[in-house]
This record gives sequence, C-alpha cells and structure tokens, in this order.
Amino acid sequence: MRNFAKHTSHYLPLLGILLLGVLAFALFSYDRAFQIAVSIAVALAYVAWGVMHHHLHRDLHLSVFIEYLIVASLGLVIVFSLIFRS
Amino acid sequence: MKIVNKLIHLLIPHESNNQKAKLLHNSSLAFLTFAFIFYQAVLTFLPRLGPKVLGYAANISPDEVVRLTNEKRVQNGLPPLVLNSTLSAAALAKGTDMINKDYWAHVSPNGTQPWKFFVDFGYRYRYAGENLARDFSNASSAVDAWMASPSHRENMLSAKYKEIGIGVVEGDMAGVDTTIIVQFFGTKYADSLPVAPVAQTKSATPTPQPKAVVLATPMPTFSPVGTTAISTPKPFLISPFNTTKNVSLVIVGVLLGVLVIDGLVTSRRRIVRIGGRTFAHLAFLGMILAVVLILKAGQVL
Repeated sequence: MRNFAKHTSHYLPLLGILLLGVLAFALFSYDRAFQIAVSIAVALAYVAWGVMHHHLHRDLHLSVFIEYLIVASLGLVIVFSLIFRS
Repeated sequence: MKIVNKLIHLLIPHESNNQKAKLLHNSSLAFLTFAFIFYQAVLTFLPRLGPKVLGYAANISPDEVVRLTNEKRVQNGLPPLVLNSTLSAAALAKGTDMINKDYWAHVSPNGTQPWKFFVDFGYRYRYAGENLARDFSNASSAVDAWMASPSHRENMLSAKYKEIGIGVVEGDMAGVDTTIIVQFFGTKYADSLPVAPVAQTKSATPTPQPKAVVLATPMPTFSPVGTTAISTPKPFLISPFNTTKNVSLVIVGVLLGVLVIDGLVTSRRRIVRIGGRTFAHLAFLGMILAVVLILKAGQVL
C-alpha cells in the first residue's frame, strides 16, 4: 500500500490499461479475433510497463524482466485456452 | 511437520526460499505455464486416444429458440416470425451436413451455399438468412450471443424476414460432442410481390429473381423440426471449456492468494529484494481472473 501511494503516477496507467482490457473483453464477447488482439496488446503493455517502471527506479535486472514476461505468458496461455475452447 | 515446512517454503517468504514464496519464483511460474499448455494438449488429443467423454451437454428446444427470437423481435417493435416446417427441415439438413462433413462454416468444404438447402426443400425465397451457434448449453445463451453480435442481431431483427426454421443437431465435431443450432430466416418469393389494385393493369415487368440476403453467417447445425442426435447420447460429458475454466480459476486464485500473503509479509518485515512489483502482478492476475469469469462457452458464426 505504501508502495502504491509512493508510485501512484506509475500504477494508475497500468490500472487503466488493465481495466480497458476487461471492458473490451466484455463489450466484444462475440468477436474472437478482437479478444485475441486485446489479450496480446494488454500482455505486451504489461511487460512494457514493468520494464519502464523498473528502469525508472534503477532496479531493472534480467530476472525482473523475465518475471514480467512469464506472468504475462501465463495470463495469455490461460486466456487463449478459454477463447479457443469457447 | 514436513508438510507444513513444504507449504511454508511454497507459499510464504522465508529464509528457505530466499524471502520469496517458491510459487512466485520464475522457475515455478514457468513450470505452471508449461503444465497448463501440456494439460490443454491432453484435452485436445484425448478424443483421438481414448473414450469419447469430451463434449458440451445441451438441452435446446427449437420451439424455445423460436419463442426467444420472437420475444426479441417484439421487444424491438417487429412482428414475430412464423415457424415454417420446410425451413426447419432445411435447417436440419444443413446441420446434419455440417456434422457429417465435420465443418464449422456457412459454406461447406465442397462449396455448397446455405441457400441450396432452401432450394432443395422447395422453399422459393425472396430473402434468406442464416445464423449458426454451437456449444451452448441452452437456447437462451445462444440467442443472447446472437443478439450481442451486430451482424447476427441484424438477421434476428430484420423486417425483411417473415418466417423462421430451426434445426438443432447433436453430434461429434472434431472429436468433441456438441450441439449446433441452425437458424434459417426466409421470406417466400410470393409473399414479397406487391398486390396490384383490381381496377388497374400494369405492363408486364421482368420477374425479379429471388435473392439471398446473408445478414450474418454463423455456423449451422442440422436437425429436423425437432432435434436429431446423430451420435448416441452419452451419460456423462466433460466440457473442455468448463474444465479449462475451473483449472484456470484455481491457478489464478492460488497465485493471487500467495501474492497477497507475499505483499503483507514483505511489507511487515520490511524485506528488500530484487523482483517484480507485487501490486502490478496482483493487478494483472486480477484482470486475468475477471476475463476468465467473463468468458462463456459457445460460438456464433
């Protein structure tokens, strides 16, 4: 919570992107291609946010980048599985 | 005691896991990702290897589809469509063709247009349309999905159509039991001709050719006026979508829980470490959870 208050200007854009992603999924439930595109865009934006945030805080390391990449990949795999099975 | 230590190592920041829950280490997350991919591969190839237990159980009545369609039309100020048995037979033929030839498209692999089914059953149309749906468990969710899609909604709410035919077919598609709904819309050629006043005569005009209007092209299923099961009914079916959804909810739920514990413990103990931001991961996985909850089984075409 302390971290969030200190870095509000960094977290708000991230929250905005993620909320837009959920909204897009809900509004375009019939358009599979659009849902796939939104998933990939949000995952890439999430990794990009992580890289920029840690670079600005001077604690960007390879392990941190890989962590964001793996979390994004796990999220994408879960969402893709459901989209293709729906 | 051993189990407790294992759980602590896995879930809580501790000196044994370098002050970060083992489940949150890159290696564990990568393992989870690959394990999920492997699980999906098993679900996909299971029908070819073992007994056919995968499928989408459904209870869809053609009459219910018609009733719900007309309900939507009336709500939008349109007259209800009349159920036409010829159209229903044609819709059933289309659905059966899809199951037999194993395709999910408006046009069959050999190029057969949906309108051919209209003509084959003697329905001389002025306007014709088709909506398709599959993998829905009930008529209501299929109709809602059509209404949510602009092109399918246009078909449902078109003032050009006067009649409707529904075909519901259960069968095996790509190794998975499913139920396909074919919704045929039509207006007979004779119904659309203008009525000339008795006192007037008109010069002969060229007979306009009936034309098909495809306002939406979903995938069809084929069944006669009622429902036809092409394969023998199975007592128990595992829905690939529902099992995937349940496993996804467990994985994301556990990760969110561990992240919350991780955030609380590191904050309280003022542990400094190099790693991703707990809040960012929480937010992202929270979004994934919301998407998993939003997604529903069923496709329209």
